[in-house]
Amino acid sequence: MILDINAFIGKWPYWPVVENGLDYGCDRAAICSTRSVFVNWEDGNRETARACREDGRLLPFACLGTLELSHGRAARDYDFGAYAAQGFRGIRLYPQHHTYHPLYQAWVDQVLEEARARGWPVLLPLRIIMNWGMPLLDLGVIETLVKRHPAVTWILAGINYFHELQLATTLLLQNPNVHIETSCIMGFDAIAKLVEQCGSGQILFGTGAPIQHGRANLEKILRAKISGADRDAILGANACHLLALD
Amino acid sequence: MTMIDAHVHIGKSTRLQIDVDGEMLVRWADELGFDRICCTDLTALFYDMHEGNRLLYEQMKAFPDRILGYASLSSIRFGQAALDELERCRQDYGMRGLKIYSTPDMSIAEPAMLPILEKCVSLEFPILAHTTPQECEYLLGHVPEAKLIMAHAGGQPFAKGDWNRAIIAAQRFENLYLDTATSTIDAGFLEACVAALGPERIAFGTDTPLLDPWPQLTKIVETRIPPADLDLILGGNILRLMGLRR
Repeated sequence: MILDINAFIGKWPYWPVVENGLDYGCDRAAICSTRSVFVNWEDGNRETARACREDGRLLPFACLGTLELSHGRAARDYDFGAYAAQGFRGIRLYPQHHTYHPLYQAWVDQVLEEARARGWPVLLPLRIIMNWGMPLLDLGVIETLVKRHPAVTWILAGINYFHELQLATTLLLQNPNVHIETSCIMGFDAIAKLVEQCGSGQILFGTGAPIQHGRANLEKILRAKISGADRDAILGANACHLLALD
Repeated sequence: MTMIDAHVHIGKSTRLQIDVDGEMLVRWADELGFDRICCTDLTALFYDMHEGNRLLYEQMKAFPDRILGYASLSSIRFGQAALDELERCRQDYGMRGLKIYSTPDMSIAEPAMLPILEKCVSLEFPILAHTTPQECEYLLGHVPEAKLIMAHAGGQPFAKGDWNRAIIAAQRFENLYLDTATSTIDAGFLEACVAALGPERIAFGTDTPLLDPWPQLTKIVETRIPPADLDLILGGNILRLMGLRR
């Protein structure tokens, strides 16, 4: 099974996107709505849940943000039970798009501990897609957050090359709960080198589709100079294990 | 279909973590099905133009049917020596273009570049320039007859990944071409380029061995572009610019 751990539904606000659904060659995809990132995270999660109800191949990840909106204090709490009841399988955080600092917001720690307790992976992107115009999360923030919550199942996303990959590699080697997804890794032989350094067990296939070219991202894994067992693990087996899928 | 990679690096660069010779590049080109590769030497590009271009010439002699050479300049501040070097690269080494790098702190968009552009016009050299759209507009605003290929088509950090802006610049200048080698694999990129510019002004490149060439190739061939247009993009255009036949 080929499972894309980092796909989207919804509109892309910056330029027209060619919609191909899952036609780039994957069997299942973990999604969240871009409405969660760019408009309102709760509205986006409702879209995500609806899309997953309509297409059983899709797996919902909840994008969470602050409950304090319009300068009002939060009058309620995150309803994780409701998300679980709707079949959500994990969480995504986009601090660089939601104007908060994840190290200084108590609700972030609360969300992360809840995710840990429920066994939900948390996808934390350095960038949403591999485009140099997209806002970046500070690498040091990622490292601190991961080390503050080492028992969380982390998926580091949006990692490109050089120093970014070096940090991710270090965290992977230090903590078996840390994973990396592949949608923004573009370096020459980077997948093979990553497997050589860290093994394949913590690497997850991701595309950023349909915003990024899904098939190009898949080809990167299919052509990587790695063993068939490593390829199978990256393309789906690791994600199936994390998401408790058959 | 003749497939030519118009953006390849050869030689050594600790900064880019590259150490590669012609034999390795030709082996990889064989795996990818590329007939020829257009190379720029990293020593010439970032350190010493005479030494680096001479090194590239040696590699061109070793693989005369596979490696096409770009002369490279490490700076635009060498005056007549740079013009003489370009002459030597054309007449003695048989190189077919110029590769040059620009950064915000050492931009080539200044008067010192204009004699180099004019020299390239006289030598019939296309110029693969690591530039922003704004820099290209300055250069072609002064020497409109130069054949300028915007390396990465805006998909590089200094240009903020803004390939839409690159297209707009190319619409303004008929001698501005776009190179497809980018760490960006945004879906719809090539379709947007072709729709705005036609297929004649797009040159396929991979930036090997900095970037993984497989997604670079896949994002071109796995599109809705007609085969005749792909034929130009994948090789016909760069051959025409270099004054070569298939």
